[in-house]
Amino acid sequence: MEQFELLTNWAQVNVEAFVLYALAIIAIPCAFCVLFDRAIIRSGFFLIGVFGAVCGLFLILQAQFLALAQLMIYTVGITLVVVIALMLTNPRLEKEGVAVEGRERFSGLVIATVFFLTIYCALRSESWPLSSLRMNPENVKQIGAALITTYALPFEFASVLLLAALMGAILLAKAEPKNDVSKIAGEN
Amino acid sequence: MKIDGTVVRGDHFSGNIAEIRKFAVMSLSWLTVIFVAVWGVCWALGIFIPMCLANSSFDFAAILSEVCKALTPIAAVLVFIPINAMFMVLMERRALALFTRRNGPNRVGPDGALQTAADAVKLLLKEDITPTGADALMFTLAPIIFFAPSIFGALPLLAAVTNNHKLFQIVDLPTGIFYVLAASSVPVVGIVMGGWASNNKYSLMGGLRSAAQAISYEIPLVLSLVTICLLAGTLDVVSIAYQQSGGLLNWNILGGGALIGLNKAIAALVSSSGAPFAEVMNAYYPYGWLSFVGAAVLCMCTVILFGVYLIGACAEINRIPFDLPEAESELVSGYNTEYSGIKFAIFFLAEFTNLFIVSTIAVVMFLGSGDCPLPTWLNPLSYPAVYEPLAKALSPVLSVLINDLHLINPPTFWAALWVIFKTYSLIFFAILVRGTLPRFRIDQLMDFGWKRLIPITLVIFVLVAFARGVINFHV
Amino acid sequence: MFNLIGSAINGVKHALGGLYQVKRGLETVAMHTWREPTTEAYPDKAPELPPHFRGRLALTVNPETGENLCISCRQCERVCPDKCIEITANKSTETNKLELIDFKIDHGLCMFCGLCTEVCPTYCIINTNDFEMADYTRSSLIYDLKKLTLTQEESAYYFAAKEMPLPKPKPAKPAAPAAGAAAAKPAAEAKPTATVSPKPAPESAKAPETTADKPAKEVEKKESPSTDTPSVN
Repeated sequence: MEQFELLTNWAQVNVEAFVLYALAIIAIPCAFCVLFDRAIIRSGFFLIGVFGAVCGLFLILQAQFLALAQLMIYTVGITLVVVIALMLTNPRLEKEGVAVEGRERFSGLVIATVFFLTIYCALRSESWPLSSLRMNPENVKQIGAALITTYALPFEFASVLLLAALMGAILLAKAEPKNDVSKIAGEN
Repeated sequence: MKIDGTVVRGDHFSGNIAEIRKFAVMSLSWLTVIFVAVWGVCWALGIFIPMCLANSSFDFAAILSEVCKALTPIAAVLVFIPINAMFMVLMERRALALFTRRNGPNRVGPDGALQTAADAVKLLLKEDITPTGADALMFTLAPIIFFAPSIFGALPLLAAVTNNHKLFQIVDLPTGIFYVLAASSVPVVGIVMGGWASNNKYSLMGGLRSAAQAISYEIPLVLSLVTICLLAGTLDVVSIAYQQSGGLLNWNILGGGALIGLNKAIAALVSSSGAPFAEVMNAYYPYGWLSFVGAAVLCMCTVILFGVYLIGACAEINRIPFDLPEAESELVSGYNTEYSGIKFAIFFLAEFTNLFIVSTIAVVMFLGSGDCPLPTWLNPLSYPAVYEPLAKALSPVLSVLINDLHLINPPTFWAALWVIFKTYSLIFFAILVRGTLPRFRIDQLMDFGWKRLIPITLVIFVLVAFARGVINFHV
Repeated sequence: MFNLIGSAINGVKHALGGLYQVKRGLETVAMHTWREPTTEAYPDKAPELPPHFRGRLALTVNPETGENLCISCRQCERVCPDKCIEITANKSTETNKLELIDFKIDHGLCMFCGLCTEVCPTYCIINTNDFEMADYTRSSLIYDLKKLTLTQEESAYYFAAKEMPLPKPKPAKPAAPAAGAAAAKPAAEAKPTATVSPKPAPESAKAPETTADKPAKEVEKKESPSTDTPSVN
């Protein structure tokens, strides 16, 4: 096993760089496809590809738990729901109002530029400290402990937010046949 | 047998022994073929080649042997999956034939033992058709996305089922069971993708149903496993397997370790040496009757969890009675309607591999992994008086195999045998369920998942969290 | 509160009841393992068909004499709903009787209703137990007289199996071997089914052989009282 450790240490830098580029080659074209593909469901599937590649990025950063959570929740759970929602929409309805006005185009461009600049500056300005420490094998335990001690408040806020979102979804989805009937009855 | 379940005399045991014997012989010979092949590959790659390289003197020998060792788990899985799928299809067909009073496939090879091998060859040689109007890229990608996770998902389990053999320690991840669950959630993407890309309404419906089903049943499935992890205090499958060693009472299906104290106390009583019975009991159950109530609650909860896991797993891998995505009667064949040839073969292979993996997870998480069900104090082999003469008698043969050739590693060997036995028993049970239960209706399926299973698992989760407090675990 | 507990208990009862039903189902299916398969090993082992199975149509001959039993009455042709029977016959100038020239059945059209066998006055056309008629062309499903006619042994078998009364000459026949060939000749000629004169000669030669045939003889003995009725008709 020591030999193997040596080998991995020797090759780690190269392998990591190689895997990073490989993931980038998957992620970036997939991201472009999400934007430009005409079949909207296909872009949904490409989004899954992008998230999958991001999950790979977490893996080479040795954040196993995060990578798996990303895979399970974003790649499969959420995106799949999005894709199914897209399948239930009627693409023919959207085609009617395709023509984009000049002003809309302009505002879109402005928003995109601002976002790009923000992210670029954020990435460039701060120095990102990289720790050379190896991952603690008990990192799941540490994450769990941190979530209910140091980060208890944000954690609870996140769960309240999710709860609110759930209730909102139920409210939106709830049919209101009684009100409609009374309204119609009142009008008559 | 009459419909109301009473047995008419002379009908029972009336002699289907020949067919049962054929089934048993077929199963045993296929199992031998499968595991001897996997074993041989592992031995060759992990032990024999490094042994040869150790004697040679060229530069890269050490590195090469390490690479070989590192590749052993994946080679084992790659050899295992296709042969095993062939056997499982055959076993399913023969077992269903037994249940429905038929003969099953009996033409190719002795008693039809080579039927599925012939089927596999046929599927591989068939023309690969992509229907007009299908999205060719997605259509090709779907089976791969469906199949790939079942290869990678199985890896952490390898360490658990081989009693942490040193060749497989490399795949023992600290996030073990979470990794397996994440991998097992991916195949549904393949199904939806295949369903949409086929450009066929049946396929699309199959894909949508599969997604709805997988998302709803993943929650009880994961919750049941998470509860077991809560009891075990770790996500690592190897430690979970180790915690359960020492007989039936230690297994997670019976209280997830709540009965370990009882087991130890009885062992102390039997051996009449060491700590007395009451002392051991006090050490594990410190709060008197409250602890016993807690243990009883835990036992009940884990049995229910096991049931929930089996149901959720059945739904997750689209097996009858949850096979709505490929319901023949209403959806032709669901998401794989348009698939043929090698792509269909991959779908088929993945389905049966998933069944195997799900059963293995159940064995590792609930049924004590590679542990003998007899408690140590009941097992004659654990007493030196029985064990030592046996070991002495067999030592001339075994020492060559174990120490010189490293062909057998006794802890791994016994663990693997038990895992094989338990896993295929579960698979047989799944086949029995398939032969018995009719298919769910889609609204019943959703009701059952969301309104029954999820609340049950949540309640059990809370119960377990409290009941755990009154018992000392794994002292 | 009590309501909640009550509904929880009800739910548990419901779940246990459902589980019990599932358990019963599983048990029943598992028990089937011990019962013998009902599968027929067909190509390896011929199925045991009842004698009245309606298979391929065929024409019997007199099991003792080997003469064709058809009298060209065309009843079968008339009754056939599919019109798959075609009989060619010629009125003989010598005997003033119909002489069968050809008998064609299109098995591609036939629906095996068995009406023809019911109307046949001489038990000539029958349904055999043979059902392996698969062929490469439709035209080869049209069977002619030669293909339809059974051998003497086959006819004897079907007469015995279907419990059909043997054709008329039979009561005379047992006496025939004892009395000699001369006695057989007039007896044969007296029958309405008997054909032209050259035939009786081989008949009488064959007669001793067929009477020696055991099953045929047994049937004869059994059927002897009932065989008288057709002769009266």
